[in-house]
Order: sequence, then structure tokens, then C-alpha cells
Amino acid sequence: MSDRDAMVLQVEDVHAGYGDHVVLDGVSLAVERGEIVVVLGGSGSGKSTLLRCIVGLLPPSSGRVLIGGRDVNAAADSEREEILRDVGMAFQSAALLNSMTVADNVALPIVEHWGTDLPTALMLARMRLARVGLGQAGDKMPSELSGGMRKRAGLARAMALDPTLLLCDEPSAGLDPITGRELDELILDLKREGDMAIVVVTHELGSINTIADRAIMLADGRVLASGTLAEVREHQDPRVQAFFRRETLAEKKGEALLEQLEQPA
Amino acid sequence: MHGQAVEVTAPPDLSEQAARALLADVLRQRGGDAVVVDCSGLVEPTTIAVARLLRVVEDARSAGHDVRLAGVAPGLRRRLAGIDADLLAAPGTTRERRPWLVAVGAWTLDLGEAGGRVVSLMRDTLLVLARPFGRNGLKWDRTLEQMALIGARGTPIVVFISFLVGVVLALNGAQQLRNFGASIYIANLVAISMSREMAPLITAIIVAGRSGSAIAAELGTMVVSEEIDAMETMALSPARFLVAPRIVALLCMMPLLTVASNAAGIFGGYLIAVTSLGLPSEGYITQTTQWLYVSDVLSGLVKSLVFALIIGFVGVYRGLSVRGGPAGVGLATTSSVVTAILLCIVATSVITAILYSAS
Repeated sequence: MSDRDAMVLQVEDVHAGYGDHVVLDGVSLAVERGEIVVVLGGSGSGKSTLLRCIVGLLPPSSGRVLIGGRDVNAAADSEREEILRDVGMAFQSAALLNSMTVADNVALPIVEHWGTDLPTALMLARMRLARVGLGQAGDKMPSELSGGMRKRAGLARAMALDPTLLLCDEPSAGLDPITGRELDELILDLKREGDMAIVVVTHELGSINTIADRAIMLADGRVLASGTLAEVREHQDPRVQAFFRRETLAEKKGEALLEQLEQPA
Repeated sequence: MHGQAVEVTAPPDLSEQAARALLADVLRQRGGDAVVVDCSGLVEPTTIAVARLLRVVEDARSAGHDVRLAGVAPGLRRRLAGIDADLLAAPGTTRERRPWLVAVGAWTLDLGEAGGRVVSLMRDTLLVLARPFGRNGLKWDRTLEQMALIGARGTPIVVFISFLVGVVLALNGAQQLRNFGASIYIANLVAISMSREMAPLITAIIVAGRSGSAIAAELGTMVVSEEIDAMETMALSPARFLVAPRIVALLCMMPLLTVASNAAGIFGGYLIAVTSLGLPSEGYITQTTQWLYVSDVLSGLVKSLVFALIIGFVGVYRGLSVRGGPAGVGLATTSSVVTAILLCIVATSVITAILYSAS
């Protein structure tokens, strides 16, 4: 196998946006089996948009997204279905279908894509749920779960079809520190167990330090820094430094405004 | 530099009035002259005073004056900390209203895009309906569920309102027809107007209000909570899971509800004719069966199928195009009902015109 084949996900110079508003301005990224790549960046840096491009929800205006060597956005319906079957996405809001029970949510892709009968799919769904500590919650409706439980259920659903690529959008955001840590541990366990490539979008420093093998940091839709976590942490750009030291740029901002006010327009 | 710098002083507590005077002061200077606003009086300004000061600068700059601040005290400096430098609009970039031609153009493009999306939704749905059975076919369980919601649960209200409409038609008709001694023709009036026009339309209005709105609200909520996105990333087609079952359920249930509406309306007319107008029961029934043709009923049923498609696709389209969170769901629900009823009435006018000119 060449290097290229070993890559589960390749994002090549992707540009994307909504209408005239450019969000991603040339982002590249490659993820191989068995590693966790963390995508960092402040709010509005294009992290979530990158994930939307990867799963084909937002076709890039230029550039390619290859999953297992195949271009999601160029694929016809049936091939696209095949490609997406290998991708699991855990949404920030979990995005469980609210009209069905948690177990049915996890069983749905299993029945539809593997064509198993419902009892088998439900057994597998219960296995997935038990794996994330929700063995007893299968019969509940999503609205009856707490935020952390919902996120774990979303993760179980993303894992339903044994994906080769797992995408997690802010897995620990909005959770209390302990629940957030549990989710991080869970993601690490999944990495150890499976032969998956995992991409995690987050801005939680704690998570980053725990789970990341490699990291890329986005700012204004471009890759600011990428490499191993240590390399990124040592990057000289002041925005990277500010991110890791949890500094704000508030003082500098005020200075710039003052300068503008004291200069002729 | 055109001229020398003129200095004006900002008063210590920049009141609304003082700010207005300051702006007038600045604007009074010759264009091109640099104006320096001495702020040293603003030692510990309130936030609102700072906002007034910045407004003066912005307004003066956008009017083409070269304004700058001087003597900024630490108190004022603290108030400005952390604020982005692009706070003030660059001169000449104040937001303008779109010229009407541009607005019309944008509106037309939006409409074209909406049309395109409805057409592609219909295409995807038709693809599902083309092979209704099998693994990638129609979701029958969801379709039956929708049939129960739209049809069975909607029947009582359709029957009740149609009955009342039949009663009202009979009462109004009786007033006029009695003058000609033609009271028995109430039977024709009620039967024909119900079956051709009133029953399909009443049913459509009720279904648009009950089910069209529910479709828009449900799908809109699913958009807002990212459920539709999640389905698409799992390669589960929303057309197959969500749209097709609702369209099929509407296509099956609208004609049935229309038949129920017919029956209830004609019964309402009959009840009034026999009880309060004193017409013979048997005569009324004979008159009805003699003058009501199958073609009248069929034309009503054809209309109900058209209405079903309108209500279904309007609801689905409005729901799936929700933007802007929960507030968007409310707007989509309202507009789905209004649009569906409007289009149904336009459609019935067109169909009636075609049917009459053909016969």
C-alpha cells in the first residue's frame, strides 16, 4: 500500500462558503488509520464548515475531499451512499431523530444499509449504546436524555456501521468537565479498539491535550499551523500562542481602535 | 493637508445635547480641515458618553470630515479596551437601501431557486414512488402513520364543517328559489356546488391548516435541530423517509376526505330542506340522484388530488427551507398555510375555467 492509500481522509485545498461569504479559503488535511487529528480554532474559524464539507453537506467551490480515495462530492448517488456508509458523524447537538427512541435511532442506519432484520439491528444498537454507557437508555426518547447522554447516543449512532472515518463536532462542548473527560476517554478507547481515523473538532484545551495525535489550527478559513500537537503548540504565530495560553487579544484590540481614532481618517 | 487643524473641545460629561452640539461644531468646519477633538475633559466617562463620542466621530467622518481624537485620558482608554478596530464604518460605506430594480431581481432569483428546489424535491420523490416496494422503496409504516394523522384524525372536523356549509347553502338558496316556486332545486344547488367546488376546497383549507402546517413545522424543526443533516450524512434520503410518505398519504386521504365532505354537506342540505323548509324527503333524494352526475363528483376528486400535491409540496418546501432557528419554524408554518390556500384557490379557478370551457 502506498502512502496515499493509507490515508482515510484527504482534504485537498478546499474552498467553501455560503453565498458570497467565504468560510474556507484553501484548507488541506490528511488523516490516516488509527490516529486522532484535532481541528482547533476559535469561533467562526471554519471548523464546523470543514466537517460539513467532508460529509458532503456543503459542496466545496473548489478543491476535493477524498474518503478512502474517493471524492464524495463528485460521486453519483449510489457511490456516494457507499462512501458515506464508511463515515460516522457525531453532531455537536447530537442531532438524534426526536420522533424515535434512542435504540431506534442507532438501529436505523443498520437496517437501512446492512439490510438486517429489526431485532438483530436493535441488538447491535443496544451493543453500541452499552459501549457508550447507555445500555439502559435505549427505550427512552431523545428528549428524555441529558445533554451528555444525548452526545454519547450520537456517538453510538455514528459508530453504528463500523466506520473507517469518525468525525466528532465539539464532543465535550457544553458539558460539565467530568462528563467531557469521559467523552474524551471514550474517543481514546475507540481509537485503541478500532482501526479508525478520527477527526475531532474542538476548542477545549483539556480535550486537545488528552486526545490529539496531530492537530491543525484554523483561523479565518486557512490553516494557521499543523503537525503533531507539540509542533503546533510551539508554533510562533501569536494567535496560536494566544490560543494555548488562553490569552485574549482584548488589550491589543483596544489599542488598534484608539490608534484609528487618533489618526486622521 | 488642505488647511490647518481646528481644535474643538468635548465637554466633561458628554450629554445627549452636548454631543449634538459637538457634532454641529465639527460639521460647521470647512471640509478638508482637520478637526481635533480634545477629549481630555472625559476623565471617567460613562459607557453611554463614549458611545456618543464615537457616534460624533463616525457621523463626521462619513460626512467627509477629517476628525481625530486627542488627549485621551486613561479612563476613556479603559472603556475602549477589547473593542475591535473595525467598529467604525469606513467613510462612504454606510449601508444603503437596495434600489428597487435590484430588489426585484433578487426576488426573481429567489423565486427561481425556490422553483428549482421544489422540482428537484418532486423528482426525488417520484424516483421513490417509481419503485414503491423493496429495500429502497416507500416507507410504508411511515406512510400509514401519516395517513392516520391526515385522514382518520382529520375526518371529524371536515365532516362537521362540511355539514354546516351544506346547511348554509340550503338556507341561502331557499330564500331565492322560493320566489320562483322552485324550492326543490335546493337539492341541485347543494349537491352540485358541494361536489364540484365546495367539498374539495373546504377539505383543502382544513387539511392545509391541520396537516400542511404540521408538515412544515415538523420538517422545519428537524432542519433546526440538524436532524435532516444527520440523515443526509447517514445516506438516508429525506425524500424517501420524510417527503414521499407525506405526499402519498395526502394523495390517498384528500379524495376520501372530499367524499366525506360531499356526503356531510349534502346531508346538511337535506336536513334543512326536510325539516325547516318542508320539502318532501323522497323528492329531495330523487332530485339529488337525478341531477348529480358522476362527472361532477369526479371533477371534485381530480381537484382534491391537485390540492393534495399543492399542500404537500408547499409544506415540505417551506419546512425544509427554514432558516434562522425556532423563529424560522413559525414563519415557515404560517407561510405554508397561506401559500397552500392561495395556490389551491388559484388552481380551482383554473381547473373550473378549463372544465367549463370544455363542456
